Amino acid sequence: MQAWYLNENPYPFVPPHVLEAADSVRGSLPNKYCDPKQAADLFEEALDEYLLCDDLGINVVSNEHHAGINCLFGASPLILGVLARQTKKVRVLSLGTLITVRRDPVRVAEEYAMADVMTRGRLEIGFVKSGGSEMASGNANPIGIVDRFWEAIDLILKTLSHREGPFSWEGKYFTHRHVNIWPGPWQQPHPPLWAATGDPTTSAELGRRGIINVMVFRSIEETQRAWGAYRQARAQAGLPPPGPDRFGHTAFVYAGDTDEEGIRVGSKLLWFLNTGLRSAPQYGKFLPGAIKPEAAPGLYRTKPRPGTPAVARPAAALIGLTAEQAIAKGLMFAGNPDTVYRQIKEHQEKVGPYEHLVLASRSGFMTHEEATKGLKLFAKDVLPRLQVL
Amino acid sequence: MGTPELLRLHGLDLELLRRGSGPPLVILHGFAPLDPQAPVLDLLAAHAEVIAPTHPGFGHSPRPDDFDTVYDLVRLYLEVLERLPFEKVTLMGLSFGGWLAAEMAVSCPHRLEKLILVDAVGIKVSDRETPDILDVFNTAPTEVRRRSWHDPGRWAPDYDAMEDDALVGHARNRDALCLYAWDPYLHNPQLKRWLARIAVPTLVLWGASDGIVKPDYGRAYSALIPGARFELIEAAGHHPEIEQSAAFAERVVAFLRH
Repeated sequence: MQAWYLNENPYPFVPPHVLEAADSVRGSLPNKYCDPKQAADLFEEALDEYLLCDDLGINVVSNEHHAGINCLFGASPLILGVLARQTKKVRVLSLGTLITVRRDPVRVAEEYAMADVMTRGRLEIGFVKSGGSEMASGNANPIGIVDRFWEAIDLILKTLSHREGPFSWEGKYFTHRHVNIWPGPWQQPHPPLWAATGDPTTSAELGRRGIINVMVFRSIEETQRAWGAYRQARAQAGLPPPGPDRFGHTAFVYAGDTDEEGIRVGSKLLWFLNTGLRSAPQYGKFLPGAIKPEAAPGLYRTKPRPGTPAVARPAAALIGLTAEQAIAKGLMFAGNPDTVYRQIKEHQEKVGPYEHLVLASRSGFMTHEEATKGLKLFAKDVLPRLQVL
Repeated sequence: MGTPELLRLHGLDLELLRRGSGPPLVILHGFAPLDPQAPVLDLLAAHAEVIAPTHPGFGHSPRPDDFDTVYDLVRLYLEVLERLPFEKVTLMGLSFGGWLAAEMAVSCPHRLEKLILVDAVGIKVSDRETPDILDVFNTAPTEVRRRSWHDPGRWAPDYDAMEDDALVGHARNRDALCLYAWDPYLHNPQLKRWLARIAVPTLVLWGASDGIVKPDYGRAYSALIPGARFELIEAAGHHPEIEQSAAFAERVVAFLRH
């Protein structure tokens, strides 16, 4: 198994009374509540953690969100540029530039090709659909997002792999008549591909394309459903069954000296769910295209009716979880190193083997020192045992 | 009475409400299709033959996958005008439908007898940092509700009271509007310069309490159409045809007879 470190670099220092009064911590909260000096410290700490991972043999993940306290990394390519130069050994995953929000996939491919060359082939490319407040902050139409996602991927892959001079693309969502990037990527025809989704329809398409399917804070049942769709789609297409290297899981992970410390410090990670996910209804259940219209009765009504069960979007089910609940759902692995190892092993027995574990191991008010300690302990006493799994 | 019929053209089934007799009045709806039970329909149908299509994607009207722009809607309705057995019709557009009606009026003025725009969107009036039209997608639903109606407590939809079918329709309406009008938001930057082509008698009606597009926007819209008359309807928001159906119908009928 390979471990990947993800710090979304949230900004937890907004006064509680401001957060309580705000309808959303994403999309609409004024940036006057973000002190650039504190933000600079957070960037420095996060990048130091990534460099520590380079020494520890933990791969690193750069992601991107916009206009919210949940993530100060507003541009994955910028962080990739730093990591490309400063890390030396580990693989670097972008998970990812928000391709449903960016207007020009060719530019995205160009940035990825540069990062792959600068890392001399250590880049991995992840695709995420994004959604919710990202549509507002990116001025991107939430309708048609899935088709736009796939067309962007097709154009990015053709841009990365095309070697013979300009080609033309006149698609439904993107047109670019003269595509020709310099340099092309180090890895041919392109770096390894990932996508984050728990949606079985999208997972099935990932299966047909052989793209790594990583879950981000998905329950055991959701994971089984998505990976089942992945396997089934491959079987139906007459493709060989996927190996464990096609699957990844993202969880809050914290190893402490004792179970007590692991849970106590690890619980700080749940800030991401309990504070960082809070979003206004216009970015959630009333976002056009967020649900199929047929699900509207269960979602729109405040008082569910018999026969029409209430419908909740996946994120809504995550808010308010305790550490015990998160551990039971496979969303969190926390305790002493033996416990963490056992929890991961048990989780694999339930959802099936997966090669990639993404460690969301710093969030909320967890300090840099706490995160560093947890990472070192994980690398010393958990990772070696996982690598022989 | 009230069951919509289907008009088949160019591979799509367009839902149409037809009611009454008299001079033909084609109504293009706004954020939601006209409710077949809405009092305004009968009030108008006493004086005109009302023909009210449901835009593809809204209500129960199917939408082909590649039918997804205002351009498609405008072409579709120009085709509908060709198919109708009338030399000319009066065209009324409400809100989003007002945008479509204005586009049709500049494209094909010779098919129109008269034009009525009601709390219409479709143009950019103010400077680049002043939105003319409330962003109904990115604004809190409570604020959208407050600004849509003169009396939201009486008229705003109550999701808990609505039947399943109505809620599904409501979600389809919102998705379809978003598809057609997300960007540029509810307007065509090029339309304003062509409004001078509208050479038919035009009435611009506006709810005095409209907080989605304010009356001053309506006045500016009206001023760009040669000879257009601007009238306010008191105690009505963005949907005067619902909140003040009698006063609304009275203004429309007076204009039709004028």
